[in-house]
Amino acid sequence: MRVTCRQEDLSRSLSTVNRAVATRSPLPILSNILLRAAGDRLELSATNLEIGIACWLAADVSGEGAVTVPARLLSDFVNSLPPGEVVLEMTGKGQTLDVSSDRFRADIRGIDAADFPAFMPDTDQATSFTLPPENLREIISQVTIAAATDESRPVLTGVLTVLDPDAGHVTMAAADGFRLSVREAPLETPLDGRLSVVIPARTLLELARVCGDETQPVQAAITAGRNQIVFRLSHLDLVSLLIDGNFPDYERIVPQTHTTRAVINTRALFQAARVASFFARDAANVVRLSLDPGDEMRPGTVTVSAQAAEVGGNETEVEAAIDGDVMEIAFNAKYLLDVLGVISADQVALELSTPSSPGVFKPVAETPFTHVIMPMHIAR
Amino acid sequence: MALPPIRPLDDLTIARIAAGEVVERPSSVVKELIENSLDAGATDVRVEVQAGGRRLIRVADDGTGIPADQVSLAFQKHATSKIRSSADLERVATLGFRGEALASIASVCHVTLVTRARDEPTGTRIRIDNGQVLAREPVGAAVGTVITAENLFNAVPARLKFLRNEATEAGHIHDVVVRYALAYPERRFLLVGNGRPLFQSPGTGELEDTLIAAFGIDVARQMLTIQVDPPPAPRIAADADDDEAVARVRVRGYVGPPHVHRATRRHVTLFVNGRWVHDTHLGYAVAQAYHTLIPKGRHPVAVVMIEVPPAAVDVNVHPAKTEVRFRDGRPVFAAVQRAVRAAVVGQAPVAPMADDDAPPPSWPARGAGRLALFPGFKAPPPPRGISPWPTAEASTAAPAEAEAGRQATFLDRAGRRLPVLRVIGQLAQMYVLAEGPEGLYLVDQHAAHERVMYERFMARRAPLASQPLLVPEPVALDRLQLGAVEEHAGAFADLGFDVEPFGPDAVVVRALPEVLVPTSDVAALVRTVIDATAEGGAPVHDSFEARLVRAVCKQATVKAGQTLTLEEMRSLVRDLEDCQSPRTCPHGRPTMIVLTADRLFREFGRG
Repeated sequence: MRVTCRQEDLSRSLSTVNRAVATRSPLPILSNILLRAAGDRLELSATNLEIGIACWLAADVSGEGAVTVPARLLSDFVNSLPPGEVVLEMTGKGQTLDVSSDRFRADIRGIDAADFPAFMPDTDQATSFTLPPENLREIISQVTIAAATDESRPVLTGVLTVLDPDAGHVTMAAADGFRLSVREAPLETPLDGRLSVVIPARTLLELARVCGDETQPVQAAITAGRNQIVFRLSHLDLVSLLIDGNFPDYERIVPQTHTTRAVINTRALFQAARVASFFARDAANVVRLSLDPGDEMRPGTVTVSAQAAEVGGNETEVEAAIDGDVMEIAFNAKYLLDVLGVISADQVALELSTPSSPGVFKPVAETPFTHVIMPMHIAR
Repeated sequence: MALPPIRPLDDLTIARIAAGEVVERPSSVVKELIENSLDAGATDVRVEVQAGGRRLIRVADDGTGIPADQVSLAFQKHATSKIRSSADLERVATLGFRGEALASIASVCHVTLVTRARDEPTGTRIRIDNGQVLAREPVGAAVGTVITAENLFNAVPARLKFLRNEATEAGHIHDVVVRYALAYPERRFLLVGNGRPLFQSPGTGELEDTLIAAFGIDVARQMLTIQVDPPPAPRIAADADDDEAVARVRVRGYVGPPHVHRATRRHVTLFVNGRWVHDTHLGYAVAQAYHTLIPKGRHPVAVVMIEVPPAAVDVNVHPAKTEVRFRDGRPVFAAVQRAVRAAVVGQAPVAPMADDDAPPPSWPARGAGRLALFPGFKAPPPPRGISPWPTAEASTAAPAEAEAGRQATFLDRAGRRLPVLRVIGQLAQMYVLAEGPEGLYLVDQHAAHERVMYERFMARRAPLASQPLLVPEPVALDRLQLGAVEEHAGAFADLGFDVEPFGPDAVVVRALPEVLVPTSDVAALVRTVIDATAEGGAPVHDSFEARLVRAVCKQATVKAGQTLTLEEMRSLVRDLEDCQSPRTCPHGRPTMIVLTADRLFREFGRG
């Protein structure tokens, strides 16, 4: 194997696949990156057996071949090289990869590429659909905030993804028991019948990270066995295990009615909630929202406050268009900041019924995003 | 077969039967004789034993002695100088009173008594062998009494069989002498075993050697003094009579720091009015003072002397007089528990802070209790103007004194029960490493966080916010779990749980305490919490609420295996410094250990 590529490209690709390298695996080869030179490109792959990433870059291949080398050592070395051409070559002495650039030279001992697990599934029989590239990151951030972070119920660490060809959209939902996110995206590929899978939120966050400058629709393929999903981007493939399990029936959680609806500037509410959160740290994270519809003379307001007995308190008034009754409700500061942080629309609508029933947050825009938070109950 | 006729027993048999209750083993003889010496006002008690007390026990004192005409009477059963009538039993102020000890001892061995009363010119020697007076003669002797008991139990083979080996019996005797030396610091005790001096107390109130003899040098160094006047504990019950009763109970003694604990209860020694007693109830009072500070199933090390008005206690419960009964046990229990707790928890340097001569307090056992230890029982009186809040007295104090007062006030308020720790980093995602005055401190992040949360919860500093679930979750429970939820519904609600019975074998969970969020497996969490409230091997009963709080804290705590940022670690250590009992988690495990600079020095072979 002998291949020449640019240091900048190699460095970027290495940082992409590094995310899939196993850090503490009993299998030493999983700490390695597989390099394969073929045609006019160099392919880099890594997997921790939960997710796998294969990524490629343009290269001048003068000898095809493959080898695996320790990810950390190769990355650190390559990252330290000056920009310019890098030559990767196997000289035939066992599984040793020579790396050279300018006046730097290294030989790195590797492990036979044949021992590297073949993690890319066969997608011949897979169910494929596409996701729009432009707002994929937003979709993922909106839905994954509600996914559980503790592993005690694995299904809740995932995102329920329902492909509904009749309605013509993909619905993604996540819930951790206290809040729920539902986001729809257009489904462009026709499918035979409904299909739902649970994708680990971690996988989607990885996808959001690597799809940065993607302009092509992202192809997703669910394997025939319904246990893996492959996302295909123009320069990489990301494969992940799916989560097996029954996702709770989220639809009945979303309130269908409300008595008070406030439309508020998203930035202003976020700022107010952020300031309150500093005080809420010492007050069980409780942030109170007081909705006052105002009257002809006075605009409506939402007062955001937090009171910590030992520390102090604060109060910020935010103007709002409020339709309905006076209302006081308390939310966990983190939940409030999470949802306001992922709404890019200028205005957010907050729909409430009672201080003890779920609050619904929706961007005032075309974006089909709904976030539901269970309010807190405060012993007085 | 005809039964033998009923006959009265002869005196010797009667005495031996009685002796069985009083004289169980050589150390009981020593105990009885020491008590006699103490009752005789001896200031110097010498105990000599051979072969674990089986061959010889000799107790010599410089007490009042026995007048010549009463020497024979002393060995008669139920003959005593200590009480005159049954009315006196109500106010027994001496250790003995039954008039049984000497008679009992004389019935099971060969006794030689040499005594001279202070105002008599000559002494008396009397020899008694297994109850028979062999000889009685005038003899020259020093004032006081010397009793020698030889060949113990030789005539009572049944008893002989139950004696342990010589070393064990010698150990028990050592224990008795040392314990009495602790209880009577102003008397001099000497123990000689097989001709070699084994223990000596100076009789000046200096207890350093006595403590070392009692507990070993490592533990003795760390023992804390129970303050004679412990700071008033928060009133638990608004019962004025009770408090007054507590005030009449005086408690002093020595207790081990929480990190010194033992597998059995026998390391708790109790004296009531100078009498060594075994009292399960008071033992519990001591154990309870350590509650949450030492691990479950372990027991503290303590010597506690309790003084109550003689009329408040009945000592006539058992011939060996190791049991007592209180007219009203509650105030005694409360006083012991408060005093011990104050000593254990109040390890913070408070009073001696302004004492320039005092060495800088060092961790782990430091502060008032420790500094006051070796000078004797008296804690140094707090310097004027040291009270945390300025008083009229303080403001009129001399400027220098006022300055010292302010300084102490400042330090006092800082309330550092822990040294200032500089966080270095994290080890194995489980321990926070920190540098402190003594060396390297390893803080168990889980245990530390648990302690912080527990104290916050108990102090109710955090509002009890409850986070309802999006969808109420039914949780199947077993009968016991269900019973706990039904019985203590109030406690669950107070902490932010919304849990209601749901059918015969389940509850529906609507809300959880905010501290338990986020969690996604509500069912597992609720079951774990309920199970953790079960009364385990805790030495004492504590409230369900406290157990529930501990269970919740445990669940809400930073798990081992979680990476912490430097800021998080600093804040954890700061919070721990603010705790009342920062060195253990609520379940009694240590929150930190220290690897001293000395130790490192030695380990690296620089010593």
